[in-house]
Amino acid sequence: MATLNPADIINAGEHVFIKMPSDNVKCIVLKAGSSVSLGKFGTFKANDIIGHAWGNSYEIYDRDSKTRVYHPEGISEVEETANNNREIVDDPTSQKLTLDDIKALKSEGLKGELTGEEIVNKLKESHATFDKKTAYSQAKYLQKKGKKFHKVFTPIKPTTYSVNEYFYVKNPSKIRDIRMDTLSQLLSYSNVHSGCKLLVVDDTQGMIVSALAERMGGKGTILGLYDGDNPHYDIVKYMNFDQETLDTIKVLSWLRIHRPADEKTPDEMQDVTQLTGKDLEGYHRRLKAYNIVEESRKVLFEGNFDALIVASQYQPESILEKLLPYVAGSRPVIVYHGTKEALLETSTWMRRSPDLLAPQITESWLRKSQVLPGRTHPEMSTWGTGGSLLTATKVIDQPVQAALTKRERLAMEKKNAEAKKLKRAREEAESAGSSPAPSLAAAAAAATETAATDVATMGEEEEITTTTTATITTDGDDEGRSVKRAKQE
Amino acid sequence: MSLATKHTFATYKKNNTIENGDLVVLYLSKENLILIRIQESQEFCCKFGNYKHADMIGLQYGTKLGSNTGRGFVFLLYPTPELWTLILPHRTQILYIADISLIMSYLDLKPGKVMIESGTGSGSFSHSIARTIAPGGHLFTFEYHQERVAVATKEFEDHGLQDLVTIECRDVCKNGFGLVNKADAVFLDLPAPWEAVASAKQAFRQDKVGKICTFSPCIEQISKTVTALTEQGFVDIKMYECLIRFNEVRILQISTLDEALEMERASEKKRKRALPRVLRESFKNRLQQERDSQEQDDDQEDMEGEGEEEGESAVKKTRVDDDDNASQQGSSTLSSAVGTPSSFRSHADVFIPDESVEPRESIESKNVTVTRLPVEQRGHTSYLLFATFTPATQQPSLTERNKTAAAASK
Repeated sequence: MATLNPADIINAGEHVFIKMPSDNVKCIVLKAGSSVSLGKFGTFKANDIIGHAWGNSYEIYDRDSKTRVYHPEGISEVEETANNNREIVDDPTSQKLTLDDIKALKSEGLKGELTGEEIVNKLKESHATFDKKTAYSQAKYLQKKGKKFHKVFTPIKPTTYSVNEYFYVKNPSKIRDIRMDTLSQLLSYSNVHSGCKLLVVDDTQGMIVSALAERMGGKGTILGLYDGDNPHYDIVKYMNFDQETLDTIKVLSWLRIHRPADEKTPDEMQDVTQLTGKDLEGYHRRLKAYNIVEESRKVLFEGNFDALIVASQYQPESILEKLLPYVAGSRPVIVYHGTKEALLETSTWMRRSPDLLAPQITESWLRKSQVLPGRTHPEMSTWGTGGSLLTATKVIDQPVQAALTKRERLAMEKKNAEAKKLKRAREEAESAGSSPAPSLAAAAAAATETAATDVATMGEEEEITTTTTATITTDGDDEGRSVKRAKQE
Repeated sequence: MSLATKHTFATYKKNNTIENGDLVVLYLSKENLILIRIQESQEFCCKFGNYKHADMIGLQYGTKLGSNTGRGFVFLLYPTPELWTLILPHRTQILYIADISLIMSYLDLKPGKVMIESGTGSGSFSHSIARTIAPGGHLFTFEYHQERVAVATKEFEDHGLQDLVTIECRDVCKNGFGLVNKADAVFLDLPAPWEAVASAKQAFRQDKVGKICTFSPCIEQISKTVTALTEQGFVDIKMYECLIRFNEVRILQISTLDEALEMERASEKKRKRALPRVLRESFKNRLQQERDSQEQDDDQEDMEGEGEEEGESAVKKTRVDDDDNASQQGSSTLSSAVGTPSSFRSHADVFIPDESVEPRESIESKNVTVTRLPVEQRGHTSYLLFATFTPATQQPSLTERNKTAAAASK
C-alpha cells in the first residue's frame, strides 16, 4: 500500500488556503503552535490540522476552540409543497429576534455555547412566515443563515487550480486576468511534461511558471527571462514546491544574457588566497551568484527549447524575434495576453514569418452552474474575460529538397530555355563556319554552367537553396507564399 | 523499456531527428494532417506531391519538406496528444482540447498520479492523460465495447504508451472497477455515470483527497449524478461548461465615404449615357439646390489649376442644362480636392464646416486588423461535473446513515 507523501498532508510553515462558510477564501502561512483567527467564524489551533491529510472540513466547537472533522449533511432532495410567495410580504418584523438577540446568539456561538446549527434553528423558529415559504425558499434561507453562523472551515491545498482561482477572484490584474480554463489550455498547447525544457517570459507574477513547474514534477528546466531587478515570481511561493521542483526554475535577466562590462568573472575577482572571514564569505557569495548566472546563460545558448511561452506586457514580436532561434523544430510557440486585440498585430507578424506555422487566436468561455436537486441552473453572475492565447508551431524553413515555389520553377525553366537558345545559336554560328573549338567549348561551358546552377537550385547544396528561398521569403513576399497557400488550402 | 529510448507520444525524442520506424505527423494544411510511420521503402502520395520516407530520415522534426515533383510541400511534425486529438479516427464522440485541458487541471494531474477513466471511447483523452502523468503515474482505462478495446490497445502499443496505460474490457456500471484504494482521480464519460459512483468511491485512495469528474451532455444526467455523489459523501460539487472561440484574423481595407463616392462618380461617369432623361432632370435640380447653398469662392480657388478628368474647372462654370457636365461636376469637385480635406466640399457634406477652425483630425482610409468568429461554432460539448472525495471519513452513504438513525429512534 502506497504511503502518503509530504504533499498530501498539511505541513507547518506552508501556505494554506482556508475556505470559510461564507465561501470566502483566506490565505495564511500555517505556523506550528499558533492560533488562527477566522473573524466572526471563530479561532482554531494550527496544530489541530497539521499532519492531517488534505480534503476534510473541520468544525470549531466547545469553549476551547476544539476542532473535529465535519461531516456535511449533504444536499437532500427538497420536496415541493403547495406554497408560493403570493402572500409573502417583505417585512423586517417577520424575524422576531432583535438585532441584540442575534448578536448575543453569535457571541454564544463564538464561545462555544451553541453550535451553528442550533443558532440557525432558533432563527428559523422565530421567523413568523418561515412556514409560508416554498420548500426551495426554506432551503435557501437555511443555507444562507448556515453560511453566516456555522463554524466550519476547509483547508484547501494550493495547486495550480486553487491558486489560480484564488487570485482570479481576489486580484485578477496581478495575474493579468489569466483564468483557469485559458491557463489549462496554455498547458495543453505547450505539451509540458516531465523532463522538457521550456523558455518563458512571464509577467503574470509567476502564475504561468508555477503551472508549468507543477506539470514537470521536478524534472526538466524552465528558463524565465525577466527585465528589472527581479523576476517577480511571487506566486511560486504559494505552491509549496519542494526543493527539487524549485530547482527546475532558472531565471536570467535580459540585461545579463551577454556579460555586461561591469560583471567580473571569478578570475577577475579578488585573489582568494588573500581573503579571510567576512571577505571570504563575500567572495563565495559573489562566486555563487556568478555561477548561477553562467548556468542560466548556458541553458539559453544550448537552445533546443521544447516550447516558448510569452506572457509579457511588451510587444510580443519584439520578444519572439529574439527568442525563436532558440526553439527546436516542431515545438509550440504561445503568446498570452489579457486582451485579444493586443495579439492581432503579432498574429499578422507570425503569418509572415517563415519560422512559424498556423498561428491561431483563441479565447475561452467558462460558465459555472449551481447544482442542487430540482434547482439546477447557471449562476447569476459569470466571468468576463479570461485572457486570449495566440499559438503557433515553430518550423524549420530550410527545405532540403526541391521545394521550389512556382516563381523559382519558372525562373529555372526560363534559364534553361535561354541556355538552350544560346547553345543552338552557337551551334548554328559554328556550323556556318566560325572556329568550332572555342564556341563549342563556350557552349559546353554555358551548358554545364546552367546545369550546375540547375543542380544547385535543385537543392543538392543546402546553402544555395537556402539563399534562394531566403530571398524569396525575407523580402516579405506575401505573394509568393500566398500562391503556395492558395494551392494547399 | 524506459520512455527515453522508445519513441513515444508521451515525451520528445532526445535528438529531435527522424529515424526509420519513427512516427511523423504530416501537416498538409490546417484541415489535413496525417500520421505515418517511417519505413524506408515507402512513399507518401497526396495532392501536394510525393514524398519518399527515405528522404525524411535524418531530417529534424519541424522541417518543411518539398515534394519530388517540385510542387507543394509538407511539414514534418512531432506526434503529440494534442495533434492526435485532431487526427484520430473517431469511433465515438471524443473530447476536445477545451474539456481535456480543464478536466486535467481540476483533477490536479501531474507526473506520478494514478487515474481511472471510463469509457475509453476513441482514446482521445487517454493520450493526454498518459503524457501528463508520465513517467511515474498510471492510467486505468475501461471500455465495455470489445472492438474499441482492441483498437485502443493497438494504438497505445503503437504510440509507446503501453507502460503507462492499462486498458480493460469491462462494464463498470454493472461490475464496478475492481480497484480498491488506488486512484487519485476518476473520470466518467458514461451514459449513466451515477451507476459507477459507488465503485469509484471504493477505487479512490482512501487516505487522501481525491477528485472526480463526470462528463454528461444532458442536464438530466447531471441531476442524477449529483444525487449519487451527495449520497456517497462527495463534497464541493460544481458544474462547468467550457467552450473555445477560434478567431480568424482578417485585414480590412476600409475607405472613407468621400473616397467611395469619388469612385462611384467616376464609374457613374462611364455609365452617364445610360442615364435616362427623367433622372437627369432630377439630378440637375438637386445639383442646383446644393450649389446654391455652397460657398463657391473657395471651390473655385481649389478647382483652378488642378487637373480634372474632363478639364472642366469651377462648379460655377458648369451649365446646368448641359447634360454632359452634370455628372462631371461632382467628380471634378472631388478629384480636385482629394489632397486638401480641410477645404473639401463634397455633395455628401451634411453641414458646412467653419473654414476658420482647423479640423480636429484628418480622416483617411485605413487598414484595420480584425478578428471574426466563423458563423458555425461549437455550442455545447457536455456539462463538466466536478466533486471532491474526502479522506479517512469512511462514511457510510446517506441512505445507510438515515436507516441507522431511523432504526435507532425506534
